[in-house]
This record gives sequence, structure tokens and C-alpha cells, in this order.
Amino acid sequence: MKPLMFLSGIGLVIFPALLAIQRPVYTPAPVQMANPLPMAVPTDCASVEGLAQVVCLADAFKATLNREQVAALQLPYSKTDAVKWSNFPEFGGRPRRVGIRLGLLNPVQLKAAKALMGAVMAQHVPNEGFDELDGNLAADEYFGKTTGKTDTFSPGNYFLAYLGTPSTTGLWELQFGGHHYAFANTYNYGKVTGVTPSFRGVEPMAAITVNGRSYQPVEQERQAFAMVLSGLTNTEQTKAKLASTFRDVLLGPDRDGQFPVTKQGLRVGDLPAAKQTLVLNAIRLYVNDLDPATAATVLARYTAGLPETYLGYSGSETLSQSGDYVRLDGPGIWLEYSAQPSRDFPGTVHPHSVWRDRTSDYGGN
Amino acid sequence: MKKQRCFIDLLSGWPVVFLLGLMATLWPNGSTAHPMPNSVVLLTIHGDRIDAEVQIPLSELQAAWGHAVNDSANGLVARVGPQLRDYLMKHIRPQSPDGRDWTVSVGALSVLETQNPINGMYRELVAQIRLVPPVGASSPEEAVRRFIFRYDVVLHQVVTHKILVSVRQDWARGQVSDEPPMQVGVIELDIINNRIPPLVVSLEAGSTWDGFRAMVQLGIRHISEGTDHLLFLLVLLLPAPLLVTGGPDRRLSWGEFGGIRYSFRRILMIVSAFTLGHSLTLLLGALGWIRLPGQPVEVLIALSILVSAVHAFRPLFSGRTAVSREAWVAAGFGLVHGLAFAGTLINLHLDAGPMALSILGFNLGIELMQVGIITLIIPWLLLLSQTPYYGGLRRTGAVLAGVAAIAWVIERLSGEPNAVTWVVEQMARQAWWLLGGLALLTLIGWWRLQQVKQLPFS
Repeated sequence: MKPLMFLSGIGLVIFPALLAIQRPVYTPAPVQMANPLPMAVPTDCASVEGLAQVVCLADAFKATLNREQVAALQLPYSKTDAVKWSNFPEFGGRPRRVGIRLGLLNPVQLKAAKALMGAVMAQHVPNEGFDELDGNLAADEYFGKTTGKTDTFSPGNYFLAYLGTPSTTGLWELQFGGHHYAFANTYNYGKVTGVTPSFRGVEPMAAITVNGRSYQPVEQERQAFAMVLSGLTNTEQTKAKLASTFRDVLLGPDRDGQFPVTKQGLRVGDLPAAKQTLVLNAIRLYVNDLDPATAATVLARYTAGLPETYLGYSGSETLSQSGDYVRLDGPGIWLEYSAQPSRDFPGTVHPHSVWRDRTSDYGGN
Repeated sequence: MKKQRCFIDLLSGWPVVFLLGLMATLWPNGSTAHPMPNSVVLLTIHGDRIDAEVQIPLSELQAAWGHAVNDSANGLVARVGPQLRDYLMKHIRPQSPDGRDWTVSVGALSVLETQNPINGMYRELVAQIRLVPPVGASSPEEAVRRFIFRYDVVLHQVVTHKILVSVRQDWARGQVSDEPPMQVGVIELDIINNRIPPLVVSLEAGSTWDGFRAMVQLGIRHISEGTDHLLFLLVLLLPAPLLVTGGPDRRLSWGEFGGIRYSFRRILMIVSAFTLGHSLTLLLGALGWIRLPGQPVEVLIALSILVSAVHAFRPLFSGRTAVSREAWVAAGFGLVHGLAFAGTLINLHLDAGPMALSILGFNLGIELMQVGIITLIIPWLLLLSQTPYYGGLRRTGAVLAGVAAIAWVIERLSGEPNAVTWVVEQMARQAWWLLGGLALLTLIGWWRLQQVKQLPFS
């Protein structure tokens, strides 16, 4: 009898221990469809235009959300949240972005969100404006599926936030971003006061095909810069060449207000008119991502500042080798494009490109 | 003040261990990853110099220095070792606040290759650098605490690079290697002015007392986190209150409670012998007079638990000499455990003075923690050993300890953790509950004992 009790005593200890070592198996949480029933079909706000239309669409998107989702989307305006953009992937260990995750939206809500984004961006231009954004999301989906990291890289991992309540009079920012993409339109006094910091990147750089559509969202930008650099004479190249090596952009996330005191490189105003146009063409590929009215205002300012804008580069003129880098630094514009090696697609490079403005980043706030 | 702190440490030891363990389990893996592609400089502050370990990603080094160091990392040190040393010497130039240069020498170079789920394959150069301040106005102890660190390896060319500078060990400030390094600054491009500013390092003054106190705490922590040392001690004490029955011609077995005097004498003998043993080898090992590779020592420690578990199940010695034989065995195993303790101190690479104090402080911490555990456990064992429950508890404890010991032997021979050792670690985190259970069992046992005594025919 005694040994039996002794054995069962041991059993009592070991059994829970065995249960304890059954570590929980990780099961990814299903995508929450917090609001499965289509609400009112979002209005197209076609009767109004300009900022009024943006605010109308912003309100329309908000109206499709439940209270919890609105709380995620609608934040008070703060610089603290405004600077929380980045070009890095968003994953559990590194939460950073504010706003609502696209992956949590149902089709009706997603459509309303995209209608809003569409209103502030250029439409129907392949690989530019809204289509460039779409291409970036498609590339991230391709990236996730190819590398098996779908938790980190997916179109669902992009965030939309209102910093401040959308209005045609007050201060607010429309913030959108995720891996390799950031967009920040700041509005105040009924007009656009800032369209930067803005980030473009993509991986892989090569064209990808999704749903029968081929995307290569940042290739035009590369080509435009390569045209500028390869068009320079040897003397001009020497002037534009920077002594340092750049393995990324300088003024990425968290590098706010750190514009160099002295501009480096070649003064664009010293170039012949045709070559200045090539520089302007590169600038256009960023500015014209915005809706035409906003783009025109910004472009006018950058065109006026073009002669005092400096062109610097490092590495090769093709911008297709690891470490290739180009920068435009003007009275307003700050544009960097950096080619860096891809970890997941060995032997290839992919771009990081940031657009800032010396005076109107975050709407001057 | 010190006593109070030690007491608090004693009390908070287990919950802290538990919490740290929990954090380690829940923390996302990303946070422990090397902050790529940055360089890391880890400073070890000695009394008269600084030893720095510099970690440089080869991809960045190649972009700054060429020589295809990342493209062909094999045999890198053999191939371009001398050039690498020259390059490092040129770009690592600490200075005293008065502008005088320190003496820099580059020691061992190696290439480390790691595979990381976030960053994939990653290679870095690891260089050991010695930085010695010039003899001058301030004492060496002060000189190593205030200097201008001019360091622009990689950064002189690759301006997007960053160098994270941390203090890994600062004995005089009570900071030793098993804590996470303390960042003192980042060296990076000042984008606004397009220049690389040096890092001004200014460490708080340290003292011998701070260093000594930290070593006492390290000793306490070492025991409270060393499940195997703890288990050995507990299993050794398990049969201490009991008399041995049987003799030369009969099988030995553990009998009943031998009385308070008897119990205390045995506990004192066992603990003193164990302490003498591990103090001796801790001293000899830490001074570098004897050196044994870690693995056999760890296996022997696991075996020592197995032997004491067998002994707790059924006595190995009898007769008049039993107590002294037990003490000799405890002393012998003490020698083994001391070698493991010494390993911790050797890894600090301390100079003679701090090392002597460290041996003293570390050993003191170990003793304090041992005495603390004994004080917490022994009263319950003494009481419980007078109840009928004790036989079951002793045998169960002995068998479980034996199983754990065998599992540790297997783990330490194979280098792979197994389910049993995992369970043991989990249970060790619940030490307060186990102690509570022991107390509860004792109370129930005594209550039952009183009831039996009150029965008219007993």
C-alpha cells in the first residue's frame, strides 16, 4: 500500500509538470471584422471640391467605423504623433505607427479609406500618385509571401490616422504609412500647409505582377535621377560628387529639422536649361503624386527655388548599385534617393527615398 | 545600510528571478537583436585603463575601407590583419580632457558570423582594443572616467553609420558583466554641421566599496539563480534531522528525528564542510592557479546532486564516523561547486586588487544567501521530521532531485536542454510557493500529531 501511495504522490507532482511543458501553440489571430455589415455606402462627395471634398471623404470614412475604430483613427493633433512615421516594417516587437490598421477594415470601410486617399493623390497615372501607393502595397504583399513573413509584410500593415479633426478651417494632418511608405498632408486655415515628410521605397525593385497588373512603383524616380546624373559633363559630375558614402538616406524618420547648414554639391542654377529641366522632372515625380491642385502650388515653389537647389551624389550614376545615392537640397526641397542591398532578394538593391521640406515639414509645426 | 540592502535582496531574490524569467519569455525576440547595421563599442573600465570590445558589421566596413572584407570573410584576419590594425589605430583616438592622446593597442581580431531571423546572415569584425590614458595630472582612476572619445571607424566614410558606445563592466561603480551594458552615447554624423563630433565620456566616480558591494550582491544572485546549487544544498539537508538505523549486517535506512542538538550539529558540519570546500576552489580558481574546463565541472555538479539524492533516499554512511564522512563528501562536492563559482569571477577579467576583493565579496554573498535559505527551510524540516509525513516528503524530494540531476547530466553532456530541466527551472521560479507548501504541510502534520496525542489510548 505504501509504495503505491508514494508512486501516486510522484505522479501528482509530475502530471501537472507535464501539462506545464505543453507550451501553447501559436495561432495567428484571425483578422477582426469588427464591422462586418456594410454601413451606408460612402458618398463620393462629388458635389464639393478641394479641401471640402477631402474633409467630406474623411468624414464619410469615419462614418463607416465603429466607436473603437474611430478612437484608433481620430487623434488630437500633436507633433509627437506626427513624427511617428517610419519606413521600417511594423511588427509586434516594434509597434510605432498610430492610426487604424488597414487589415482591420472590411471591404466597405477599405473602399471609403481608399476614396479618401485617392482624393489627395494623383489618379490614373501608372506607378505615380495613388497607383504608386497601390504598387507599394502590392510589392509588400509579394515580399511577405515570397519570404514567408506575411505577418510583417502585407497590405494590411499600413496605417491611416487623422491627427486633429478634419475640417476646412482648423489644424489637422492626414497621415498614412507603412513599410517603405509615408504620407503626411497637413492642413490649416483651410489650405494645405505641408505635404512632407513623405517616403517612397519598394522591395523588390524589379517589376512584380499582381492580379494581372504589373507594378514597378519607384523605377521612374530612379530613371529620372539617372538621367540627371548621366547627363552631366565630367566637370559637373566632379562638382556634384560627394566625398562620403551613404548606405541609407540621412533624414529618415526621427531626423526632423536636421537640415545641413551648408548645401553640398553642384548648384542647379549653374547648369544649362535642358539639364535643369531634367532635375525638375525628377522633382515632378514626387510632387505630382499629390492631387493636381496641391501639386501645382508646391511645384511652383520648387521651380522658383530650382537655381538655388544643390545636386549631390555618391556612387554610380545609374543609381542601381549598392551605395548609390543622390540628393537635391534647395531653399525648400530636400530629396534623397538611396540604393541599398536587399537582404531578402540577394544580389539586388532597393531604394529608400525621402522627401522633406526645409520650411513646411509637418505644415511648419 | 548594507545589511538592510542585503536583507531586501534576500527577500526579493525569488520574485525578481521569476519576473526576469517571465520578461525573458514574453519579450519579443527583436529587442535582443544586434542593432544592425551599427557598430557597438563595449567598454570595460579598469583602474588604470579601458579594455574595449569593438563590433563592426563587415558590410559597413567594406563600404568604408574596401578590401572586400564582407565579400570574402574567410581567413580575413590572416589576410589583412596588419592593415586592419593600422586602420583601427588611425580611427580610434581617445584623448584626455587636456588634449593629450591615449595609448591605443589593438589585440585579438576575429570574425563573428550570426544568423538572425530578422536580419538574416550577418558578419561582423570583433576587435579587442586597449586604451591607456597618459600619466599626468589626474590619477589613473580619474583619467579613465573622463575622456574625449574620438572614434570614426567606418563613419569617416559611411556617414549614415552609427556607433553605439556602452559600458559593459565598471567594477568600481558596481557594474559587472552579467547586467545589460549601459549606453553612454552614440557617435554619429552631426548632419546640420556635416561633422563627426567626438563623444565626451564622463563616468561617475566609483569606489572600492561600490565594487565590493556589487560582488556581494552578485554572490547572492548567483545562488538564488543557480537552481543546481540550491537543490544540492536542500537535498543535502533533507535527511539532516534524522537518525540512521540499521548497521553493518542490516540494510541502512533513515530512522526518526534525532533531536535538535543532533540536527544542528549535522547541519553545521555539512554546511561548514561545503563552504570550506567551495571557498578553497573559488579562491584558487579565481586566482587562476587551477583551471578546469566548464563542462566537466557542470557535469560533476549534477552528479553531486544525484549522489546526495541517493543519500537522502537511503543513508550511505552509518556508525560513529557517519557524520564526519558526510562532511568529507560535502567538502569534496564543495570543491566542485567552488570551481563553477570561480568561472563567474574569471569572466570579469579583473586586475589583482579588485579580484581579491571580489573573491571575498562574492563568497560573502554566497554564504549570506546560503545562510538565508537554511534559515528559511530548516525550522520547517526540523518540525516536519517529527511528523509521519516526513518519510514521504524526503523520499519524494530525493527521487525528484535524482531525476533532475540525471536530466542535468544529460543536458550538460549533450548541450541540449530537455523537458525535465525546463520543468525544474519553472518550478524553481515558484520557490516561494514551494516554501509555503512546506510550511503548510508542517502545520497540518503538527495539528494531526496533537490530535493523535489527545486520543485516550495513544
